[in-house]
Amino acid sequence: MKKLNRRSFLKGGLAGGAAIAAVGTSKQALAGTHNFGGYPDSMGVLVDLTKCVGCRTCEAACNKEQNLPEPDKSFDDPSVFEERREGGLPRRTTEKAYTVVQKYDVPGREHPLFRKVQCNHCNEPACLTSCFVNAYKKTPEGAVIYDKTVCVGCRTCMVACPFYIPAYSYSSPTNPVIKKCIMCYDTRLKFGRPPACVEACPQEVMTFGKRKDLLKLAHQRISDKPDAYVDHVYGENEVGGTAWMYLSDVPFDKIGYDTHLGTQPIISYVKEFLGMVPMVLTIWPALFTGFHLLSNRKDAAKNEENKS
Amino acid sequence: MNSLKSQGFAPVVSDLKKDGSEWTVKEKIMLGLSPKEYWAVQLRNPFNWVLWAIYAIGVPILVGRFIFGLGWVTHSSYDYPWGLFLGWGLFTMVPLSASGFMMGTTVELFGRKDFKSIERLGLLNGLLGYLFAVVFLQVDLGQPWRLIYPMFVSLGPAAVLFLVAWHVATYLTCQVAELVPAFSEWMGFPKAKKFIKSIVLGLTIAGIILSTLHQGALGALFTYAPGKVHPLWYSSPFQWLHFFVSAVFAGLSMLIVVSTLTKWFMRWRCDENYLSNLSKLTLGLAKGASMALITYLVIKIIGIAHDNNWAYLLTGWGAWFMFEMVVGVILPLIFYTMAVRNSNASLARFAAILAVFGIALNRLNTALIAFNWQLYREIPHWRELVIVFTVYATYIVVYRAVLARMPILYTWKEKK
Amino acid sequence: MGGRKKTLLGMAALMLLTAPLAAQSWAAEGPGTVELGSLANYYSAVTFDHAMHTGVAASCAECHHHTTGLAPTDPNCARCHKAGDKANSVACKSCHSDKRFSAEDLAKIEGNPQLHHKGKLGLKGAYHQKCLGCHTAMGGPTGCQDCHTRNDKGDAIFHSGKYAPAPGASDGHGGGH
Ligand code: SF4
Ligand code: SF4
Ligand code: SF4
Repeated sequence: MKKLNRRSFLKGGLAGGAAIAAVGTSKQALAGTHNFGGYPDSMGVLVDLTKCVGCRTCEAACNKEQNLPEPDKSFDDPSVFEERREGGLPRRTTEKAYTVVQKYDVPGREHPLFRKVQCNHCNEPACLTSCFVNAYKKTPEGAVIYDKTVCVGCRTCMVACPFYIPAYSYSSPTNPVIKKCIMCYDTRLKFGRPPACVEACPQEVMTFGKRKDLLKLAHQRISDKPDAYVDHVYGENEVGGTAWMYLSDVPFDKIGYDTHLGTQPIISYVKEFLGMVPMVLTIWPALFTGFHLLSNRKDAAKNEENKS
Repeated sequence: MNSLKSQGFAPVVSDLKKDGSEWTVKEKIMLGLSPKEYWAVQLRNPFNWVLWAIYAIGVPILVGRFIFGLGWVTHSSYDYPWGLFLGWGLFTMVPLSASGFMMGTTVELFGRKDFKSIERLGLLNGLLGYLFAVVFLQVDLGQPWRLIYPMFVSLGPAAVLFLVAWHVATYLTCQVAELVPAFSEWMGFPKAKKFIKSIVLGLTIAGIILSTLHQGALGALFTYAPGKVHPLWYSSPFQWLHFFVSAVFAGLSMLIVVSTLTKWFMRWRCDENYLSNLSKLTLGLAKGASMALITYLVIKIIGIAHDNNWAYLLTGWGAWFMFEMVVGVILPLIFYTMAVRNSNASLARFAAILAVFGIALNRLNTALIAFNWQLYREIPHWRELVIVFTVYATYIVVYRAVLARMPILYTWKEKK
Repeated sequence: MGGRKKTLLGMAALMLLTAPLAAQSWAAEGPGTVELGSLANYYSAVTFDHAMHTGVAASCAECHHHTTGLAPTDPNCARCHKAGDKANSVACKSCHSDKRFSAEDLAKIEGNPQLHHKGKLGLKGAYHQKCLGCHTAMGGPTGCQDCHTRNDKGDAIFHSGKYAPAPGASDGHGGGH
């Protein structure tokens, strides 16, 4: 009886083998991304919100650079600032726009504040770590790009992105894929050129450079003009740091930034589960085989009793 | 069919007809009725009328989803990437189908042969639930034809969904294997049954591992969205445990509900052994479910205490949370306990309905209602709802068809 | 004031040599008008009335920082250039790169660890921040086409004018619900 059990267990184990192998690699991969912290010389963009005038040249430039479909309204039409999506929220990135400029009327501020929204190119991107076909890639240059030829359309990255960035081409029946800013990687960043929106901005709201230099610059700007900025570089530490960072004269939580994201990358919230996977894989089989043998021994003992 | 049986109709229970000749497969599919009788029975059943109505509206819309894309059947929300297809079809169907691995464990591992007469129903409930969860997933995926990509084309092994995909796939295989005996009896292939018998223990243990992990993984999927899911439904360290433990009572409760339905509507197909044991087994399941419920209640409270989320209980969200906990957890717990104590199977059945409702509410809350709690509530598109009804109706049709034929609710009389 | 005038004249002479200015007409204090066209792409060149602006600006340093030899108005600049460090050229372009963020520009900044002006604006940014900053504060014109008209190429990229999307062209999927 015992012998048969062991044999049958081994056979059945094969069925689970594939899964176990799969999870084995999962552990390695996890170790690989653990406390990654970004490439040392990666590039970034510092966005100085105090300088933006809401001209939307960046949106126009992005539309052209990324070959995006024709917009619903001209890029010089200011009425888009008043548009509200569900829940009274301002416009967000869509399958047709990788970047949008939002307008905030801040009480006490003389002029409205404009905020350019696009992918923040996180150091440890939630989109990347949640993708089950490994479509995303963080390049050494700092961009978070993705391979749309493998995107299955599960949309987990959209759920995971703490900044509500990736959009999805729902309108396409045959080839819907994730759509988001790629920091102009294919056409520019790869060749050492700045993103199209950065270059197009008349106000030079955005400064392109090495992330570590930008951080110094950001803090220098704050210390040079302590009255002109709040003392916070948004993106320096948020969810493990992002390549795109922001300076503002208005507290970030007043202009739609989530200031409760914490400094841990999103994947760290999932680690507890991923960490217990190998445990289940190793302990469960032994544990339940043990249960089985125990319960059967009881049966056997009972049978003996009944016989006698 | 119940009335037919009372008129003396004898359903197929073995390879041989009364006169000693063998049933052909076609005859078995027709339930041993002549085609004319068979269709007459189908037409007479008012439940089928409802199904036809659902199909009349639902099938064109389901086809439309693949012709015009997801944008035609959903609101194309970027903020709510997951709607009812996953909220109901994946996150709710999968825990309700946890009965498979639990019945396997109870009977094969713990040697509780007394549960044998309901084991196959548990396994079938598991298999079909998973199968249709995959169907729902296929409706929801933007490019369903790429479903095998995470398996073979481009692997993202560090992602929780990768684990879900692999485990659901392997577990489905596992469940098919576990049901091969029922199929082989019905088809008359004794060899297949023998083979499965020899590996059943391995299959069962694989089933437990895979189930623990993917039931938990479904919860862990939401840990990717710490700021989006309301803190009362979110717990980074315990989310997987909450989902796993709640799947235990969800599966058991669903099994009680389904067995109750079979007792009412498919009595003709149940054999004496099944019917006479059902009340006792229901109470057995109730006991298991109540243990899972109390565990769940405790770890839910621990979850709240761990993140110090007490203050949220006083908000509107807190009231909604308490509603879910009281109706879906505490009441079923009380009723189950009373049912076990007083050997009252009807009360256990009522508790099961509440628990199933509670689980559905919990999963929909996590995936949709309390998701993006700081933004706005997404009301699904009506076409999305129609598709959910259509696919779920198909689940019921398939479920009923298998129950009517294969030896799930009755024991096959083997050839001597 | 006399000294300043002279400086300006000298400076303007230098400007002739260095700045790519298409046309300049001379007034008493520096160029009368300046054609700012080196970056013109989507817009026509700006004809900048320098003479008028010298009249409204409190000091040349408002725009030229310390390069004209006057004390800079920005206290941050004054930390080093308190007395005003006259530069060989006062043209915007001689300090503010018209190839900002290009590989060469970044390499130049990177390669000079001594460089203090690491965040120095490019030419376009310098123009716009300076012009718009003042115009906003003093009520000057601030619309893009108040200073330079957009050309056909500009209309195309902005999907405006004859390139404007047909009204109601939206397929309803652009709004994210
Ligand atoms: S182009 Fe620059 S100034 Fe204009 S809206 Fe974009 S970021 Fe703001
Ligand atoms: S902002 Fe969102 S989409 Fe962009 S890299 Fe970070 S997680 Fe990914
Ligand atoms: S970096 Fe490129 S893709 Fe991203 S918003 Fe700017 S122009 Fe668009």
